[in-house]
Amino acid sequence: MLKSVNFELQSGEVHALLGENGAGKSTLIKILAGAYTADSGSIWFRNEVVQGKYGPKVAEDLGIVTIYQHFHLIPHLTVAENLALKSFISEPGWFVNWRTVQQRAQEALTRLHFPINPAARVKDLSIAQQQMLEIAIALSKKAQVIVMDEPTAALSKRETEVLFGLIDQLKKRGLGIVYVSHKLEEIKMIGDRITILRDGNNVATLEAKTAELKDIIRLMIGASRTSESRRDALLKETVLFAVDHLQNKHFREPLDLVVHEHEILGITGLVGAGKTELTRVIFGADQKSAGEIRFAGQTLSLRHPRDAVQLGLGYVPEDRDGKGLCLNLAVRENLGLATLVKLKGWLFDRGGERKQVRHAVSSMRIQMRGIEQPVKYLSGGNKQKVVLGKWFAAQCKLLVLDEPTVGIDVGARQDIYGLIQQFRREPEHAVILVTSDIDEVLEIADRILVLADYRVVTELDPARTDKQEILEYCARRAAPPAF
Amino acid sequence: MDTSKPDPFSQLRAVMSNQAVSMLLILIVMWFLLSLLSPYFFTVGNLSEITLQTAVIGIIAAGETLVILSGGIDLSVGSAFACSGVAGGLVFQATGNLWLTSAATLLTGAALGSLNGLFITRLRVPPFIATLGMLGMARGLALILSRGIPIFGLSKEYLWIGQGKLFDVVPVPTLILLAVFALVFFIARYTRFGRFIYATGSNAEAAKLSGINLGRVILITYALSGLLCGVGAMIEAARLGTVQPAGGNGYELLAIGAVVIGGTSLFGGEGNVIATLIGALLETTIRNGLNLLGVNAFWQYVVNGAVIIAAVAVDQWRRRI
Repeated sequence: MLKSVNFELQSGEVHALLGENGAGKSTLIKILAGAYTADSGSIWFRNEVVQGKYGPKVAEDLGIVTIYQHFHLIPHLTVAENLALKSFISEPGWFVNWRTVQQRAQEALTRLHFPINPAARVKDLSIAQQQMLEIAIALSKKAQVIVMDEPTAALSKRETEVLFGLIDQLKKRGLGIVYVSHKLEEIKMIGDRITILRDGNNVATLEAKTAELKDIIRLMIGASRTSESRRDALLKETVLFAVDHLQNKHFREPLDLVVHEHEILGITGLVGAGKTELTRVIFGADQKSAGEIRFAGQTLSLRHPRDAVQLGLGYVPEDRDGKGLCLNLAVRENLGLATLVKLKGWLFDRGGERKQVRHAVSSMRIQMRGIEQPVKYLSGGNKQKVVLGKWFAAQCKLLVLDEPTVGIDVGARQDIYGLIQQFRREPEHAVILVTSDIDEVLEIADRILVLADYRVVTELDPARTDKQEILEYCARRAAPPAF
Repeated sequence: MDTSKPDPFSQLRAVMSNQAVSMLLILIVMWFLLSLLSPYFFTVGNLSEITLQTAVIGIIAAGETLVILSGGIDLSVGSAFACSGVAGGLVFQATGNLWLTSAATLLTGAALGSLNGLFITRLRVPPFIATLGMLGMARGLALILSRGIPIFGLSKEYLWIGQGKLFDVVPVPTLILLAVFALVFFIARYTRFGRFIYATGSNAEAAKLSGINLGRVILITYALSGLLCGVGAMIEAARLGTVQPAGGNGYELLAIGAVVIGGTSLFGGEGNVIATLIGALLETTIRNGLNLLGVNAFWQYVVNGAVIIAAVAVDQWRRRI
């Protein structure tokens, strides 16, 4: 994957690593962690070349700790137990002194000003708290270098600020931080230097403070790609989909919304505003207790997602790997799944399926070894294209997207926006786009609903609003933050 | 990145990296060695005996493959096998009608399998527990219905199913075995239901959100597994001329063993049906070979267990490289 990369990190520095999917970011951090071995080249630490075979143990001894996007915590154990796991392994003896474990955990958390109860089970923590715990564990391992892979992917705005405060603390202690993210603005805020990877090479290292956003993007994607203009004459006022007075265990107050033909309705809000819950009711995965859902003139009774699929709805869940894809099945099988569901009878046309999949793959520019490759080997952006392609192939009419570009780099993100645009141009098509990324709704939505505390707070026109205003609405009735 | 022309080596590599192919190679090597060690091994009689001995376990393992592909497990196959055999035997005693006997055997198997499916989908009991419970219940039912006494006196025509030979060479059970595998292979590969089994086993949540009726897929899968236990029970009854209410003990382990030797993942969604047939043949060959070599029969359990572990170890190793 990597061709030739030079990367250096100073102590007390946040060095951001940027690049599109497949640029080599993950490969590089896995080499740093010792999970992959470099074919050639050397690793230097404190002005000395690291001798011998570089593996996970060596990385750990040097104090290089990686915090992956998917945490390596044990959900059913408590915070204190997770913190103590390392010492369980390295300290001799058969018995555990639970009091010491508890005390040490409490000390570690207080020292870092982490408001987490050491006796809480990890599965009950918020994502942000789990991330704090990962950092606490890293520090307990005497980390010198912390590699963070997309640390803010699942964090709300406020949680992100807390994380940034923490990173500042770490910097002051002289730690070096490698920060991998797709969120460019964030990197401008927190980073000292930026190294940009493209196709397995490092193309540039810039000072974060002076680097221009458009230059960064240009360096990442190589050539400038333009996004399609959206506010065209397509929009009509035909209501395609409507939710009237919807209520259920989450939505205590009646909720209404309409989606017009060809429209991309953006719904945004903070974590916990009820965005995912809303998509689940619309798709029949959760039940409503009152209200009505109408689509193309008829009232729907959605008892199960399969009812929604049969009626022409498609759902792209937030958790791509966990809920969107059958990871060990081939690209072909994933792309054809919803189409197959909508067919009748026992048999299906395998040749037709293959043809349809080939067509989807080439028109969507999905990068892979072949349609028989298991989908788990694809990059995030290509995986998401497979999820979208599944619904395109099944000729669904209303796409419900939940955080469709989370963890996806700039280039693939533009591809996905392009696909969404193309989709909604078809007759009787529309899109509901649910996202916590405000730039995203501003970029591609035709109309914006702001959700807070399971209520629609306001409706905005993206041409006449800005990030500031949306954020203010988001916070207006938001539940008190987790910490 | 070129998707239109697959390179020939990648296909060769794919074939070589297939667990079924490596197990087939091992099977062939084993046959070769055994034919050197024993002059009786490579005779038409013995080879057809091996396929005959494989028939019952192989057919049950075919159903087990579907269950495991769907992300579940069926521990009750040995008991369901005995219980459907007893049901058939009792109907024969009462009526003497072969069609009714067959129907009772098959329907009892399918009913027990459907019950498994209902426990899992309606009561949300995990497959391991549901079928563990059924393992006890079906065995008990077999013993209660037969009062613990073997059933004798099946008529000559019925015995043809287990003892007959086509053209005096190919045993009827072997033909049934091949037919069952052809059918199950077809289901897994060419039907929507088969694809839904794989999707459910790979990621049940994603399958559900793609609109698959999980409950129905799981129910039919377990019902098929039960039905095939009934098919196995018919063959065994006809082969032995009697129905043993205590029969089929430990068949679940042989069946699951055949599935995993074939490389099907116990996590679901990965594997294929033909590989299970090879796995079952491998298990029978080992038993047959040890018999011919005069090894104490108790060693068969040890060797069979060791082969299952070795096969999965090889599979794991191959996935890493």
